[in-house]
Amino acid sequence: MTNANFNIYVLIKQVPDTGSKAGVNPDGTIDRARAKRMMNPFDKFALQAALHTKKEYGGTVTAISMGPPPAKEILLEAIEHGADAGVLLSDRRLAASDTLATSYALTKVIEYLNTEKNHPADLIFAGLQTTDGDTAQVGPEIAERLGVMQVTYCEDFSLEGTTLVARRIVEGGHTVVATPLPALVTVANAYTPLAYKSLRGAKKVQYLARTPEVEAEYISVIDLDVVNADPMLAGLKGSPTIVGKTWKIGEVGGSCVVRQGQSVANMVTDVLDATPVDEFLNKKEAVPV
Amino acid sequence: MTDAEATKKPAEQPAEPELPLFETNVGGQVMIVAELTDGQLAPVGLELLSMGRELADKLGNPLSCVVIGHNLGDVPNTLGHYGADIVYVADHAELAQYRTMPYKRVMCDLMESLEHPPHIVLMGSTTTGRDLAPRVAAHFLTGLTADVIEMDIGPYEHTNKADPEKVGLYEGCLYAVRPSFGESLKARILGPWKNPQMATARPGVFVPLQPDTNRSFEVKAIPVNLTAEDTALTIRDVVVELNKNVDLTAADVVIAGGYGLADAEGFKLMEELASCFDNAVVGASRKAVDAGWIPYVHQVGQTGKTVRPKLYIACGISGAIQHRVGMSKADTIIAINKDPDAPIFGFADHGIVGDLYQVVPEMIAQLKRQITAA
Ligand SMILES: Cc1cc2nc3c(=O)[nH]c(=O)nc-3n(C[C@H](O)[C@H](O)[C@H](O)COP(=O)(O)OP(=O)(O)OC[C@H]3O[C@@H](n4cnc5c(N)ncnc54)[C@H](O)[C@@H]3O)c2cc1C
Ligand SMILES: Cc1cc2nc3c(=O)[nH]c(=O)nc-3n(C[C@H](O)[C@H](O)[C@H](O)COP(=O)(O)OP(=O)(O)OC[C@H]3O[C@@H](n4cnc5c(N)ncnc54)[C@H](O)[C@@H]3O)c2cc1C
Repeated sequence: MTNANFNIYVLIKQVPDTGSKAGVNPDGTIDRARAKRMMNPFDKFALQAALHTKKEYGGTVTAISMGPPPAKEILLEAIEHGADAGVLLSDRRLAASDTLATSYALTKVIEYLNTEKNHPADLIFAGLQTTDGDTAQVGPEIAERLGVMQVTYCEDFSLEGTTLVARRIVEGGHTVVATPLPALVTVANAYTPLAYKSLRGAKKVQYLARTPEVEAEYISVIDLDVVNADPMLAGLKGSPTIVGKTWKIGEVGGSCVVRQGQSVANMVTDVLDATPVDEFLNKKEAVPV
Repeated sequence: MTDAEATKKPAEQPAEPELPLFETNVGGQVMIVAELTDGQLAPVGLELLSMGRELADKLGNPLSCVVIGHNLGDVPNTLGHYGADIVYVADHAELAQYRTMPYKRVMCDLMESLEHPPHIVLMGSTTTGRDLAPRVAAHFLTGLTADVIEMDIGPYEHTNKADPEKVGLYEGCLYAVRPSFGESLKARILGPWKNPQMATARPGVFVPLQPDTNRSFEVKAIPVNLTAEDTALTIRDVVVELNKNVDLTAADVVIAGGYGLADAEGFKLMEELASCFDNAVVGASRKAVDAGWIPYVHQVGQTGKTVRPKLYIACGISGAIQHRVGMSKADTIIAINKDPDAPIFGFADHGIVGDLYQVVPEMIAQLKRQITAA
């Protein structure tokens, strides 16, 4: 059923690659200049959700990111996976944005694109949270600013016409909700993982790399003035919160004795000897040997 | 940690230019939102009341508690017994299940009706709190700190000249401390410029007060005015089994199986291991539950149960943060995983790298020998 022409946005953030040790300071903070960069892993689920919607129900997918110029890399990555275009909001005045200021800037980008396309967003997908700020707040704050419905912690969904039916994680289970569009959905990592890059997408990005003038048609890099945003509401000035002091947490656990490479019987004996298991053994019922 | 910063420099030091003083405390309430799971009061609400009581007493302001739902029965009184001075109750059929828009409407209407905005608003860092709090914070264009594990009240000196109007000494600020960078750092987040100062707090961190049935408190019904738009999202199905009885929390030993079990059959092996112990139950990761191998009641973690057994044996569980928060307080944790780099080895006490289908049967055999020898 490919009949709708949904205007789909997906919000993706570039974060330091914490898997690689490069750029991780001894105190646990991150030196962003030296750290490797990657697409926020949670946003890959959001991208998959956006691409799935396009494939299943029709429409176009625009990936949106806010960050310094290198964040263009993840927009190209999104195109390799099948996104139609990318928009990067990059501006020095965005530095030190908290979630409220970030949601303001991204909302201005969304409103700008809605006008450009002459078609307000039908669906906006965001990741559940990021691996750096890790607040899970930017999505709902954007939904509030736009005045649209939201479904957070979404682990699966389908569309019935213009009704979104979504399964969301809750304590002790899940709920299934139905909402009219437009809606903002934050996609949980329980959703389908991002599919491999498409050959077409990869070829397209190779071509874009050779022809910058064409690249500019697919990736636009814009600043606060383009989206008509008030710099007083963005960045440090627009942020009601700041990060005060930080402490290193005394290594929790970290003392695990790991047995590896010996015979299973020896490893098990070793662990059982080191643990006070006999206190809890079931001595009441005769357990058949 | 907090008072040290508050002490002013001795007078004989060369006088620094005085910072303008801002008192952020104008008497606004400390307001907490108690949530219901499966129709019952979620423990995090009582935990927040205890923390909220401490903050309210430091500020000298009242502690209020909001509860939203339907047929709330004795819940408002319970909240009073656990420390609230004022209990705001929104009881309405449309509020029976949590939905973002109706709950947001009730919260915003209430907060706007007060003489001063609340000084502080706290919600649980649950799938409900993390859905609702940012929506309310964005409505009031105020700050929100996520997933807090420590809180206090104190002064804050803002000296960053990049934003000259904000330079000053702020009194009565909420110190909201949260773990960050994969739990390796703690960061204090401040938002003194605007009330309410908001935060979501991690469940299981604060300890509820002893209930006191003699406390005096006020229960106030709050009006519920919902628009058609507010109720446009409907709930088609609710599968919540948190309160059914598998008493994970009272068990001495929890044998937990994860996605590494590969199928539902694997839980038979978990049960067999559990049967070697007295007062042992089977737990599971969410991924194993979502795969349909075992019911939700067995789930341990952020959206499942928090357990503190004497012994926790995790089989084929990677150790994701959402699982860890539910079991890291066990006295002893044994992890069995075939991947030596699995995060669970970062916080377990004892680990075995190997195929659980070899390790667990061997463990059962050795335990049975110990039992017969005893
Ligand atoms: C240690 C530390 C603690 C912090 N604590 C707080 C806090 O408690 N409260 C607060 O308000 N701020 C906090 N911040 C600031 C916060 O990290 C930034 O505001 C950040 O720009 C966005 O928040 P996030 O990374 O938490 O995003 P989240 O809200 O976790 O992100 C959710 C989703 O929103 C989208 N998104 C987020 N940022 C972008 C982007 N730049 N471009 C495109 N899409 C995006 C993505 O889809 C993402 O998956 C903290 C920062 C640090 C370093
Ligand atoms: C909002 C939210 C709430 C959540 N709440 C919870 C929660 O309450 N509880 C929870 O557990 N999760 C929760 N999660 C999910 C969590 O993020 C992880 O996805 C989940 O804990 C992973 O489960 P797992 O460890 O069983 O699976 P995986 O991460 O897939 O790990 C399986 C492990 O098994 C190992 N393995 C595979 N085969 C074998 C073998 N034969 N022998 C030994 N080892 C083997 C693998 O090496 C791997 O480490 C939540 C997520 C979200 C977004």
